[in-house]
Amino acid sequence: MAKWGMVFDLRRCIGCNACAVACKQENTLPNGMFFTKTLSEEVGVFPNVTRIYIPTICNHCEDAPCERVCPTGATYTRADGIVLVDHDLCIGCGTCVVACPYDQRTRIESEMLEQGLFNNGELTPFEKQGNVRFTAGTVQKCTFCHERVDAGLDPACVATCPTEARIFGDLDDANSKVRRLIQEHRGRQPLPEKNTNPRVFYID
Amino acid sequence: MHSRHFMNEEEDFKVGPRSQKAWGVHIATAFFFGEAGAGLYFVSQFFDFTIGMSIALLMVLIGKGGGHLVHLGQPMRGWRALAKVGTSWISRGLLAIAVFVFTGALHVLNLNTAFMPQALSALVSLVAVAACLVIMVYQGFAMSHSSAITLWSTGLMPVASLTYGLLNGVLLTLVLGFNTPLLNDHPEIFQLLQAAAIALMLYGLVMVLSLLHGAKYGSEGGQKSVELLVRGAFAGWFVPVVILLGFVVSALFMSFAPRNLFSMIAVAGTELTGYYAFRVLMFKVGTYDPVMSFAHHFRR
Repeated sequence: MAKWGMVFDLRRCIGCNACAVACKQENTLPNGMFFTKTLSEEVGVFPNVTRIYIPTICNHCEDAPCERVCPTGATYTRADGIVLVDHDLCIGCGTCVVACPYDQRTRIESEMLEQGLFNNGELTPFEKQGNVRFTAGTVQKCTFCHERVDAGLDPACVATCPTEARIFGDLDDANSKVRRLIQEHRGRQPLPEKNTNPRVFYID
Repeated sequence: MHSRHFMNEEEDFKVGPRSQKAWGVHIATAFFFGEAGAGLYFVSQFFDFTIGMSIALLMVLIGKGGGHLVHLGQPMRGWRALAKVGTSWISRGLLAIAVFVFTGALHVLNLNTAFMPQALSALVSLVAVAACLVIMVYQGFAMSHSSAITLWSTGLMPVASLTYGLLNGVLLTLVLGFNTPLLNDHPEIFQLLQAAAIALMLYGLVMVLSLLHGAKYGSEGGQKSVELLVRGAFAGWFVPVVILLGFVVSALFMSFAPRNLFSMIAVAGTELTGYYAFRVLMFKVGTYDPVMSFAHHFRR
């Protein structure tokens, strides 16, 4: 069984946010909700100043604190390592939101589903067909596009990235591109001090 | 409103500490009633003070239960929170609330009607006290269970919950028991509770300062939380209300004010106000560490 993971090549990310747009389109995410974000910051001192871009996503941690603290079992880890939320079981207590060190979970409020893209209470046809996937008051997060992965495709953000800054693959396969990149570039996990063992790595 | 919303979104896209927004006033209110009610029950049962026990049960059932239900996104499914007692402190807490309300009500009923055999009565009272102790501490464990928010992620949090719970219980017993046989006929109980209250206030003050000390030197997120409390947006609430009103003024009142009902209400009022502010502020200043703690090392 594969253990899916992702590598972010920070040398390649240009901060275009195509990944975020593709994700919103693939998952029909309502206003105010992102499964992936590209954080940015200016670093250095004039004249040697640059802007860094840090793509972020649910890290599908091996020791996921969100799963441990969930009181209903709504958050679970599949055999292939993808952490998902069963919104039929979720009670919207928010415990997983405050337990995730990476702030990658969002509770869907009813206004997010009702206000619509243009914030006027009218839903576009795209939203009407997409909103049925969500239940107000429950928590959602990145799914690694598990339907696409099950069909043998890459997640939407990976498929869309124009610079190939996102690489998806099997962490258990010694010959996979993600494993090779992590080994060659000494891939680093975000916030390793939190002891969550993320399945997302950053290389530079 | 629009600009404020815009600024929040800006913060969400920066590499840096970010505020948690999932837990707020509703859950703080639930925690407040949970700890105050469980503490009141614990002290009241020690003295078989049925008025205190009855009010404590209502505080936990209505105040804590109501606060949680208002907070939940799907309140009708709330019962499902009992499913993961093995790993989740929320599940353990809900189980403790159910056991506490049931056995506590049985015990109060039995004190008035003596319908249970003595052995069973002792067992029920023991279970009720155990459950109320769990309610007093589990909220601290629930907050410290994950390392996400440094201010909360400390072993001191359950101890702080227990300290506040006991302190609230002692002060509410002094108010509710004033002009009742409990305190009128037993002046030594009043003195005992008064000494306990002052000791718990001093201990609680040190506990809160220790929480801040640990967070400040724990991580960047913890440092941000402490800054918000001591010098930032919430300093106007934290220092005057939580520290001065909640501990200093109430301890001075308890030590030097004349022994009457007004003084007891004033002490309990100041302490409970400080405690409620503490609960709300703990959630308001909860801050995640920067997602990429090593981000600054890139592209230098």
